[in-house]
Amino acid sequence: MRLLQRALRRSTLPLAYSQGYNPRLRLNLALPLPLGVTANREYGELYLSEKIDPAQLISSLSAQLPAGLELLGVFEVSAESSSLAALVAAACYRAKLVDAKEKSLAVVQIERAVSKLMAAEELLMPRSGKKKKQISDINIRPYIFELRLDSGLRAVPEVVMLLKAGSDGGVSPFYLLQLLDACEPDCGSEARQWSVERESLYLISNGALIPLTEGA
Amino acid sequence: MVDSTLETILNKVQKPGRYVGNEWNSCLKEHDQVQLRMVLAFPDLYEVGMSNQGIKILYDSVNKDVDLLIERVFAPAADMEEQLRQEGYPLFALESGKPLNAFDIVGFSLQYELSYTNVLNMLDLAGIPIYSKQRGDNHPLIIGGGPCSFNPEPLAPFFDLFLLGEAEEALPLLLKEIIINKQNGLTREELLVQLSSRQGVYVPSFYNPLYSSGRFSGFEKLIEQAPDAIEKNYVADLDSAPYPTAPVVPYIQTAHDRAVVEIFRGCSRGCRFCQAGYIFKPVRRRSSEKIIETARDLIALTGYDEISLSSLSSSDYPGVDELINRLDEALAGKGVRCSLPSLRLDSYAVTLAEKLHQGRRSTLTFAPEAATERLRKVIGKRISEAEIYQALTAAVTAGWQGFKLYFMIGLPTEEDADVEAIVELCRELRQTFRRQGRHNIRFVISIATFVPKAHSPFQWEPQLSMPSVIRRQQLLIEKFRKMPWVEFSWHDAETSFLEAVFARGDRRLAPLLEKAWQLGCRFDGWSEHFSYSRWQKAFEALGINPEDYANRSYSYADPLPWDHLHCGVEKEALVKEHRLAFSVPAEQGSEG
Repeated sequence: MRLLQRALRRSTLPLAYSQGYNPRLRLNLALPLPLGVTANREYGELYLSEKIDPAQLISSLSAQLPAGLELLGVFEVSAESSSLAALVAAACYRAKLVDAKEKSLAVVQIERAVSKLMAAEELLMPRSGKKKKQISDINIRPYIFELRLDSGLRAVPEVVMLLKAGSDGGVSPFYLLQLLDACEPDCGSEARQWSVERESLYLISNGALIPLTEGA
Repeated sequence: MVDSTLETILNKVQKPGRYVGNEWNSCLKEHDQVQLRMVLAFPDLYEVGMSNQGIKILYDSVNKDVDLLIERVFAPAADMEEQLRQEGYPLFALESGKPLNAFDIVGFSLQYELSYTNVLNMLDLAGIPIYSKQRGDNHPLIIGGGPCSFNPEPLAPFFDLFLLGEAEEALPLLLKEIIINKQNGLTREELLVQLSSRQGVYVPSFYNPLYSSGRFSGFEKLIEQAPDAIEKNYVADLDSAPYPTAPVVPYIQTAHDRAVVEIFRGCSRGCRFCQAGYIFKPVRRRSSEKIIETARDLIALTGYDEISLSSLSSSDYPGVDELINRLDEALAGKGVRCSLPSLRLDSYAVTLAEKLHQGRRSTLTFAPEAATERLRKVIGKRISEAEIYQALTAAVTAGWQGFKLYFMIGLPTEEDADVEAIVELCRELRQTFRRQGRHNIRFVISIATFVPKAHSPFQWEPQLSMPSVIRRQQLLIEKFRKMPWVEFSWHDAETSFLEAVFARGDRRLAPLLEKAWQLGCRFDGWSEHFSYSRWQKAFEALGINPEDYANRSYSYADPLPWDHLHCGVEKEALVKEHRLAFSVPAEQGSEG
């Protein structure tokens, strides 16, 4: 975020700032990436103080971005349309097991854990309530739209998770991986190490989840 | 520049962003495309080093030259050190990822005495022998600069040379001369002899310290050509001196995460405890045109949203209010905040602060240093009681909600009454504010311990003994405990003691440093790493009494280990200032 803000400030784009004594750039990300998760593509929205050609924005901003970060596309939306953050309903993550020693054994264990979790009617996650000491559990089972093992017996185990996300609640991919590990602990004493990547974001249209894509 | 071993290492450490480089504006040059390769080493964490303006200035001034390259390396945190040692992976520079041994020069920035063990640790992690006499032609030249090089004796055997004073002009010239000498096939020793005739170059191995009855008594020169005294370098004109407008912009949060324009160098105040006020003389100003031009470029090339107008006492810049107006105009519409650190405690500074903080007025920071007018006169901090009240009540009227005030204890001539006066001052200020109808003004009080520093008028003065420091701290702790509206913090007495030992140390402390480092001392300026018991073990092992250094009172006639290093202020001038300090009539009590 800080990186993007600084890149924008270096560009000569007509940026819009928030009102007040501490003006801030009007830049929002659709769904901030959890710490420790990588992503192939990210979506965000930026307000400008005057209308410019999307191609011009791409060239001005791209010149200020460090290697490894690429501006893929820019689309103009009407100021009245609801924000990306409000539209996002779910996110799909892919977790790969790091340092898997007994791959086939891990696959079997994880397969079992996945079925157990999917079969459960209720999965409670403790959540601190608004008053400090009050802790309420919430059932996150409805937040799991999809959970499956996505790899062959010999390959490094990979888990695909389609999880509810957005402003009205969600669940972290790491919490789910914790549950998986708790179901079927690794034979070693150490917890499994996962590397997690976010593959795509989803929004709800006519009651169905559809992937968020350019121009949608 | 991350290979697979390093990638595995980085996956296991906290804040890998400290070690990957590749930041915006970082400068990548091919090693075989230049004539000389230097790495700038900062013996503290990345976040601290990247907040240091000197590092940014030198990075810019050396990389500007097509024949030279300069990269950066910072002290690895404990977890990184563990990984590096475990994997046998040598300490490397951020830009190229090459080990320090692949460079011609390793230059340490010496800002703080308590980072000395990190210097040794970094050399060792790079596989470079720590003592200069153990190094050969295949090793880089180890050089040092920065404020601590004005008394570098405790580090002398580890360094090949020190460059005294401001280096943005002198360092590239020194490196160019090294290129020529290397082309002429000079040996390491011959090169050092050659360089020692340059202004500001101190080659410690050419000077042998002498001791009589356990005390330093002077140097004998081992090489005839070596100068008797070394004069520091300084920049004559700031406007024409190199200054970075495209400094490296870190990805991770650093201590001072903002653009900086240095508006003047040196300080006209001359507080008697302050080393910076003397070693950075004379006072030189950057013109307001140059400041505005620099600020504009900085914002355009970094994207920072804050610009700091830095100096040792920023409200002393002539016409600073006019400067702020012009800066506001130049940066209008860019959402940039302007800040002015190091404000003098007076009404003028409060007016300036009002100008800078439109609306958001939380805490103002000042350093009165002492709470009685008598003691402030002794230390040369000329602010009257009336001025303090005037300034602070004006600030409260303008809407400030709190103050952070820095004080020192253990100052020469200080008595318990002077220390208690800190508490009284807080109490009375609170009363005054209450009469103004402001009941909830926040007080943040921070107490440091006086450390006598080389080249300041108080260089002859002892540090207050540790038990007395602790007793005076206790006095404050007890009184402030009953005043929950004061947020009170103090510097660890043992840390300040060690700082005093090294600030006026001599060469006999070098083996002690080595011992302490071997015992595991690192990051001694960080309370979570500092272990005084390790240091005590080191003192015992070497038979050194640290109090002989910290608590010793010198006479004017005593030879000092830094007498041959000249900062531009004559010793007579320091003597005069020292005498003046103690001719201040005492209002109460004796002069101690």
